[in-house]
Amino acid sequence: MTPNENSPVGPDQELSSECSAQAASAAPLEPVQTTTSRRDFLKGGGMLSLSSLVGAGALMAQTDDAQAAIEWAEHFQGNYRLMTPQEKAEARARLERRYSAEYGKKVTVDGTEAKDGVLMGYALNIRKCIGCRRCVKACVAENNQSRGPNPGERIEWIQVLRMERGEFSKEKMDHGYPEGLGIQVGGNAYTPAGQVLEGQYHYEPKAVPEKDATYMPIACMQCEKPPCVKVCPVRTTYREADGPVVIDYNWCIGCRMCMGACPYWARRINLTSPILPKEEMNPVTHYLGNRPRMRGVVEKCHWCLQRTRQGRYPACVEVCPVGARKFGNLLDPESEVSLILARKNVFRLKADLNTFPKFFYFYD
Amino acid sequence: MKKIAFHTLILAFCCGMISSAASAEDVTCFESRKGASEVTQRELKPGWPNVKCSPKTGAVLWWGDPFDGTVPMGEMPLLDKTAAAKAVVKPRSEKLNILPMCGTACHNGVGPKFMPPTLPKDKNPKPIPTMEGLLPDAKNLQHGRGRIWCLDCHHTTQRNKLVDNFGNPVSFDQPQLLCGKCHGDKLRDWRDGIHGKRIGEWASTGKKRWFVCTECHNPHNVQDGARNRGFIQIEPETPPQLPHGMKDAKYELLHGVSQH
Repeated sequence: MTPNENSPVGPDQELSSECSAQAASAAPLEPVQTTTSRRDFLKGGGMLSLSSLVGAGALMAQTDDAQAAIEWAEHFQGNYRLMTPQEKAEARARLERRYSAEYGKKVTVDGTEAKDGVLMGYALNIRKCIGCRRCVKACVAENNQSRGPNPGERIEWIQVLRMERGEFSKEKMDHGYPEGLGIQVGGNAYTPAGQVLEGQYHYEPKAVPEKDATYMPIACMQCEKPPCVKVCPVRTTYREADGPVVIDYNWCIGCRMCMGACPYWARRINLTSPILPKEEMNPVTHYLGNRPRMRGVVEKCHWCLQRTRQGRYPACVEVCPVGARKFGNLLDPESEVSLILARKNVFRLKADLNTFPKFFYFYD
Repeated sequence: MKKIAFHTLILAFCCGMISSAASAEDVTCFESRKGASEVTQRELKPGWPNVKCSPKTGAVLWWGDPFDGTVPMGEMPLLDKTAAAKAVVKPRSEKLNILPMCGTACHNGVGPKFMPPTLPKDKNPKPIPTMEGLLPDAKNLQHGRGRIWCLDCHHTTQRNKLVDNFGNPVSFDQPQLLCGKCHGDKLRDWRDGIHGKRIGEWASTGKKRWFVCTECHNPHNVQDGARNRGFIQIEPETPPQLPHGMKDAKYELLHGVSQH
């Protein structure tokens, strides 16, 4: 079935053999025509790969068609982590050209590397959070997520879980939850304290905080031993030297292994083509950060790499109206996060999984 | 046919008028809590707004320039580690509507009828209809639950100032010097960046805009029975999409969860 064996291509054209393998993905459709003989089929396959080669050659030769040339080169670039500095710069310049044309404004794709002596850390005051979701929306405003109206088109990296406080009352002593199964969860029957059901983060009261609820925002924990990195078959997601776990979106194959491996529900996939209005697009981007993603790749929180590498707080830290979110350098004993670790009661979510998050929850 | 074209032209013209009117209208949104510090949306440079606002709640979601409209915070005890220019605040006095009047119109130290002018004899609470009319919060003073009153925080003779432990005036731009009198633990945490909010550069030596106490807390109404935290209740942003196949948020509560 591999078209290379069948195609009448000389060795001089081997340069683009990889391309023909890609383009001939339509070949499996051919055997459906049961009447065709093997010869016809081979001929068909050969013609197909030949035509794809011609197309590829045309694409490569057509330097005036900038858009096509950019996408062509982008398609065959390597894993960002393995690129030389020059290749990285070229890849970023390609993307800048493409995004600027696509969004009608000057888009910059930054490639600032990790600084020595920096290990980013995050702390969140779980007692202060009022569940207003401003962090969720600020993240979307900063990080160019898809924001369409249809299912799967709206991507948000931060989830704010609502947990019932629960109460103990004599009248409810005999009640069980869920009804009929006799399993009691959380604090009490019918008031499952601390239990998170899928629907519970869709709360929509007039005002928060509600009297009977506490809130727990979760996003990527930027683990020191990230399960998502362990499972990635193409090694496109990896831990940067200053802490955050990042994704090279161009190298991602969309297999979603990482989504299954992540115990914190932090990763999202672009099942549809992302909907990102031109006027809302944030033109200051980072290659491993908030640059616009394509369909079929996984994305997640990266602690606003385009901001934090330039010294600025992440967007969610800045927007939090109650100041529950803190960010800083774990190696600096004077940083906010280090002081919190030294003074406050701190825990990590699902610490028993030995993922060693750099995201700490604390309370006064 | 001509008539239709004419009407279309009129309609298009009207639409143009409306859209231009809407674009000319200023978008004002609030930073931390409503009524504390409002910001008007504008462009710092083409395509780069000073703030992005939430279409649902009108809250600021994003700052284009975190130091827009700020001034150095000034002297702050035990803050010698931070260089003066690295800590900036937005002046509060500009946002307090009746503050310019306080020291001049009524509590100016002179007046025909007041001997001594507007100076109370003691600090005991008594109704002041004028103040309650000007400042509705004064009628429902929650702070201290009846144990403190106006002159515990406001200066006796200089009403456009607050007061510290020694009776010296404190600027409205530095409410932390007043609040820290009682809330010392919070002041310490605020100084170190653990309590409260800062925007700007995250490095401990970086330049930051600090939010002062009264930008987030209403000092007259810090404790309200209807809420269970120090911060006022606010409207939340829109919830996320429901997971695929889930009809409403209550689904699991009504149908039970599979225990696998």
